[in-house]
Amino acid sequence: MTCDHLSRLLALLVIFCAAQTASMVQGARDFEKKASKLLQEEPENPKCFAGGRKDFTCFWEEDEERAGSLDQYSFTYNYQNENSSRCPLRIVPAAGGKRLFVCHLNRTQMFVQMDIQVHREEMLIHNRSLFIELVFLLDPPGNVTVSSTGQQGQLSVGWVPPPLKYMEDSMMYEVIYAPVDRHVGQVEVARASSELILRGLQSGTKYKVQVRVKLDGMSYNGYWSAWSDPVFMETLPSELDPLIMSLTLIISFIFILLCLTMLLSHHRFLIKKIWPTIPTPDSKFQGLFTVYGGDFREWLGQTNGGLWLTPALIYSEECPSPLEVLSELSLCPSMASPPLPPKASRALSAVRKEDVKTELDEREPLERGDSAPTDGWRPTPHDHWLMERLRAHHQHQVPRSQLSLLESQDAYVTLSTNNQGEDGLLDDTFEEAVPLEVLFASRKTVLCESHSDLGSVQQSSGSGRLSSQSSFEYPNQAWTAKGPLYTYMAVADSGVSMDYSPMSRADDIGKVVIYANEYKNEIPAHRRPFLSRQYPVHDEG
Amino acid sequence: MLQKTGRGLLALLLIVLEWTRPGLPSPLRPICDLRVLNHFIKEARDAEVAMKSCREGCSLSESVTVPQTTVDFDVWEKKNALEQAQEVQTGLWLLQQALSLLRTSVTNTALHSHIDNSIRNLLSINAVLRSLNIQEYTPPASAVGLEGTWRASSATDLLQVHVNFLRGKVHLLLSDAQACQQDVS
Repeated sequence: MTCDHLSRLLALLVIFCAAQTASMVQGARDFEKKASKLLQEEPENPKCFAGGRKDFTCFWEEDEERAGSLDQYSFTYNYQNENSSRCPLRIVPAAGGKRLFVCHLNRTQMFVQMDIQVHREEMLIHNRSLFIELVFLLDPPGNVTVSSTGQQGQLSVGWVPPPLKYMEDSMMYEVIYAPVDRHVGQVEVARASSELILRGLQSGTKYKVQVRVKLDGMSYNGYWSAWSDPVFMETLPSELDPLIMSLTLIISFIFILLCLTMLLSHHRFLIKKIWPTIPTPDSKFQGLFTVYGGDFREWLGQTNGGLWLTPALIYSEECPSPLEVLSELSLCPSMASPPLPPKASRALSAVRKEDVKTELDEREPLERGDSAPTDGWRPTPHDHWLMERLRAHHQHQVPRSQLSLLESQDAYVTLSTNNQGEDGLLDDTFEEAVPLEVLFASRKTVLCESHSDLGSVQQSSGSGRLSSQSSFEYPNQAWTAKGPLYTYMAVADSGVSMDYSPMSRADDIGKVVIYANEYKNEIPAHRRPFLSRQYPVHDEG
Repeated sequence: MLQKTGRGLLALLLIVLEWTRPGLPSPLRPICDLRVLNHFIKEARDAEVAMKSCREGCSLSESVTVPQTTVDFDVWEKKNALEQAQEVQTGLWLLQQALSLLRTSVTNTALHSHIDNSIRNLLSINAVLRSLNIQEYTPPASAVGLEGTWRASSATDLLQVHVNFLRGKVHLLLSDAQACQQDVS
């Protein structure tokens, strides 16, 4: 029996001691927190605070090295109109090699001035006068609860005020709340109450809420307490207002209908813009792609294109590639042709004449026939103007040095449109020219009878009959500098680099057919008919 | 005929008297809102601040008896409501006397308004106490030798005591008033 009692007593004692120790440890921890807070906020020494109605603590800080022993210090205080008293001190070690000298009073008088003096070995080191009810530093509110109010974006926060009689109406609280992922929170103030409703919160978000307390400063005053432990609560998820949803659906439906109507009414335009038809030359070359699979040579052989003059004789095997040009200008007899540089004529004379003649004979009837439609041309004022322009252009723009290049290398391909003098013309010109299926006009008749004013005639056939003298390169730059009125064709040796620019009066004049089978052609993409000019050839050379 | 007229006149008289019934003191509604007292405390503080900044013509001609403002909660709670009420009413009475004396001593006109305000506020507090059904108590005329009093020799001390008294004992009495407790519960 006795052993049981003793053991029970012992157990109780142990529990009691443990509880005391725990509370002491907790109390010490609380004091440390408050002390560190005051060390930051309060400038005066000693730092004092009242934890409750009867609890009063004062302390000051000193370095370990400079601090003396406890008995060197004395803490004396006196209330107004009363005698002074001493407060027993104790040392509490602090962080950073510091010591706290602490005085604790269990009984205080409020609403009366208190004078404090701290002496170290008879020397006054600290002096302060204060009212105890004006230096409250309370513990944070306990039992903070956060709950939903049942409405969107609202939370209800409740707490238990510090248990201080007579002072509950003098307390004010601060509630800080923020979404969990944010660091900056909003603050709400509540006075003399123990709950607060937070409004305007985000739906479906987790919030962190903390509360702290302070006396309002009328009858009592003090410092803000520490923040309470955080409490987390999630707000209600957002609800979709049925009216707003239905309105949104209707409006979006109407909008889609409008868009569709717009698209359908302009669908052709849109299709043209988004998927433009890629132009193909099918329409101009009937059967080229469908029948011959893109083989141009075969197609040429089989078809009789309206635009192209393709006499069958031209395609004889031994013949060089024909170069036919429809020329169209008739010139006034008064106009003088620009002089062709002598080198050109020399080069021309080097051409074999026999071949030309034979070919010409073959082709004459055809060409005559071909040029028949162009009968009846008469020089028009515009032609005169063109002639002048051309001459002037040639004279001014082509310097002599370049001309020397040009002359031997110029290829002016023209077709004379006059039937009558054609034979003679042809004979004359072809004596000097490379065999080509081209009609040339002689110099004499060029101006009056032929329709071209530029007449340099020198072509080379691609089949190897070209003499070296007749090879020429085309200085494209010089040609391109010309106005858009004339077509110049340059026929090169190993390939034809044709560079011609469209002419303005092409529609009136006619169409030019230019091709060379074995030459490298650079046929421009445009299909405008162009005019070729005939350059007078210096027969004298 | 005369009887009828007489009765009519009597009835008329009664009606008229009923309307103009002399104002009997009706029971006051208890003033439990401490914001009233807070307002008085604020004005008392303003007066104290004004007095501190005064240089001339703001001295007390003679020392006055003022109530002690000290509140020891253990001691205070040991007193019953009646004692507390009497202590407060005595203090208010003493302050009224002291402020009246100060009013005559001070020549600074700026302070006159503050002092008048303070005196008015003290009377209002009495009315508040009455509304709380606290029995009215008037201390004896001779204030000398009263317990729980001090002597104040300067105007600054007097006004400081005034502020501390309102903040302390008056506030405690009002916050703990029985009439207000019944309302809350």
